Amino acid sequence: MTRTPLSYLPAALAAAAALAPVAVLVWMSVGADLLIDGRAFEIALNTVALTLLTVAGAVLIGVPLAVVTTYADLAFRRVWVAVLAAPLAVPSYLGAFAFFAAFGPGGEIEAIAGLATPRAQGLAGATLVMTLYTYPFVLISTRAALQSLDANVVDAARTLGLSLPAALLRIVLPRAANGIAAGSLLVALYTLSDFATPAIMQLDTFTRMIYVEYNAFGLDRAALMSLQLLALVVIVLFFESRVRVRRERPGRILRLPLGNGVKAAALLLAGLVVLAALVLPVAIFGAWLVREGVVGFEPAFALNSAYAALLAAAGAVILALPVAYAASVGWIGRLCERATYLGFGIPGIVMGTALLYLGLRLPLLYQTLTLLVLAYVLRFLPLAVGAVRSSTERVENNLVGAARSLGATPGEAFRRVSLPLILPGIVAAAALVFLEAMRELPATLLLRPTGFDTLATYLWRVYEAGYLGRGAVPALALVVVSGVALVLMLSGEARRRRLTAG
Amino acid sequence: MIDRRTLLKSAAALGLLGPTHLWAASNRQSIAAESADDLPPLVGKLSVYLGRGEGGLYDDIVAAIEKRNPELELSIRRAPSAALANTLVAEAKAGVSRADLFWSIDASSLGAVAAEGVSRPVPAAIRRHIKPDFRYEAWAAISGRLRTVPYNPTRLDAAAIPDDIMAFADTDLKIGWAPAYGAFQSFVTAMRVLEGEARTRQWLRGVKTQARSYAGELGVVMAVARGEVDLGFANHYYTLRLKQGKPDANVDLALTRNDAGSLVNSSGVLLLNDNPLAANFLRYLLTDEVQSYLAREAYEIPMAPGVALPQGLPERVQPPSLDLTQLADLKPTLDLLRETRVL
Repeated sequence: MTRTPLSYLPAALAAAAALAPVAVLVWMSVGADLLIDGRAFEIALNTVALTLLTVAGAVLIGVPLAVVTTYADLAFRRVWVAVLAAPLAVPSYLGAFAFFAAFGPGGEIEAIAGLATPRAQGLAGATLVMTLYTYPFVLISTRAALQSLDANVVDAARTLGLSLPAALLRIVLPRAANGIAAGSLLVALYTLSDFATPAIMQLDTFTRMIYVEYNAFGLDRAALMSLQLLALVVIVLFFESRVRVRRERPGRILRLPLGNGVKAAALLLAGLVVLAALVLPVAIFGAWLVREGVVGFEPAFALNSAYAALLAAAGAVILALPVAYAASVGWIGRLCERATYLGFGIPGIVMGTALLYLGLRLPLLYQTLTLLVLAYVLRFLPLAVGAVRSSTERVENNLVGAARSLGATPGEAFRRVSLPLILPGIVAAAALVFLEAMRELPATLLLRPTGFDTLATYLWRVYEAGYLGRGAVPALALVVVSGVALVLMLSGEARRRRLTAG
Repeated sequence: MIDRRTLLKSAAALGLLGPTHLWAASNRQSIAAESADDLPPLVGKLSVYLGRGEGGLYDDIVAAIEKRNPELELSIRRAPSAALANTLVAEAKAGVSRADLFWSIDASSLGAVAAEGVSRPVPAAIRRHIKPDFRYEAWAAISGRLRTVPYNPTRLDAAAIPDDIMAFADTDLKIGWAPAYGAFQSFVTAMRVLEGEARTRQWLRGVKTQARSYAGELGVVMAVARGEVDLGFANHYYTLRLKQGKPDANVDLALTRNDAGSLVNSSGVLLLNDNPLAANFLRYLLTDEVQSYLAREAYEIPMAPGVALPQGLPERVQPPSLDLTQLADLKPTLDLLRETRVL
């Protein structure tokens, strides 16, 4: 029996909405002078350089830490894994903000400890910050790849005369390469999209220059640069779609007998990374809190963040359900699902630019909460679809069929069989979107209603005005939100592992 | 609706060329500032675009007005002044109107919006409470600010500082500036008007090789004080505020003569519709209370006659002959800053 499932309609609607920002950008940039001058080239070069260097940095930190935390018998290994994954949950602008304040002449490190440090800025500063907050992508994906390798293969190589380092290089690394590549591409995607870090570090990347153009109301040029940036994103997504992590027959996990020297070096690296990515920002924000207190902060900022994020979470889940369902019934649905994934690749500043322009054409939406929430929903819908799908896949048709054959109405079968199975996925989807939207900066900056400041936009205001100390409360609040996101992320991971194991 | 030409003409007719008697606390035709006690209470909804309010000080004023007027429902959009000016221009072009008034820290952004013809003339009854040299039709001046050259006396002697702004490009001094800041952009606009595009471009290129950029001018002054640069370009009050907190800070003020380097700029308010609440809000900003606060705490030059000047204000100021309404032409400045990669 073939019929068009009812879920195709909302799924197609969601897909169309996801594609709309790109259409708007194309429409906006028609008529803009395509400036292929030295300047445009320099911006592209900066963007690509930052991306490549960050990927290199993330691999250099992520891969050794992955090897050590997977194969060596470290004390408190699980704690190390959790702590080393934590920077992923922290928005990189908090790090950029802290590094900007901490380093350089007159920075907090000099003020507190009397140590003269170079300023964190430009390509070097941006690379450092981006690396510290993106290496967990490589760490996690590499760990997953390493865990799936069978130790017996390595043992076989060893018995055939390969030394341990040579075995790691020639046997383990090639088979973990796809995992490393998958993580690296996520690092690249994240780096291309990031707005605040290059902005604070004063590196002229596409995202920073789109904001400069927006401020100078060269909206057409902002649109053109957005499209150029999207072209880079598409390249990364293309490679991403080609990378397939190989599944091997599960076997024994390799255990490496590491010497104390190697272990100490690994712990030193891990300690330094945690110190820079987590301890330093929290210490700086804490010092500000002690010095300046809560001056200027209004609880309304946190409430606004939470309110908009809550609406976004609800909207994303409502849209994600039909998309996830449609994707499980046919190829048109899967196509719609693919389209909604686009939002993930559209950087926040680009989404903001497109919807701002849309708002000026449709004044009913201009500077409304609706438009801001729409931006969140489109941007974070893929997270929701992913989380919902992972649970809808568990609802097998024969379960529903069994319920029906036992006399349940379709409604009852849904309520008593399907819903309990997909509910955890829905909750996870809502929570993920909520936490991401809480921390979103660039699109919020452009689209927020007048008088509607969020934690992130208040922090940005404080930065622009140069009263950094006033950022203590919003920054610490965002750290707490990030902590909750981390716990959720790790528990989701644990649940998935239990499911796949069982 | 007023078109731009009439606006400029009327500004010229008001005799605004060359603010010379700036510091004169009271002069002809001036009427003392109103007291907040004499103003009608503010009731209802008011939407304000606030162009880069100086951190906490403007917030304190807003908080004080809100406290006095519990029935005022104020919503404020804060962003850099040029960004909000451009937002208002884009809104005007799209036929969208969201703000009742635009309160900006620099004249060029106000002029740029007025040039779109979306402003309402400042009521004559309010204009009477502004110093005569700063009375404009399209917007009301609130506080004055002077371009200065903060320098570090431990790193260089006052005599080593050129008194011609154009000469800075030919020195080997280390210079701090904040190109993204609206007041800096106004200063560059003034230079364009006074010296021409070609010389300004040359100047920007020359200074850029020895300059370090900061996010704001408070950052510039702090960098001067800690000796990271020899001198900087910044509005006068940043230095005065820093000296207030740290009297022994290593920073002093130098001035240039008769050029963009000693421009007197003004913050101000532009009314965007006929909402009487907006006009009354503007009256609050010109009261003795707010004006004294701005002078005392923010070290800004009060625009209401009869209000005491801030302490430590440089005395022998020789600003250029320039009508502030000429600063409205912001776009060529932004283009120039971008072309020279300063921004």
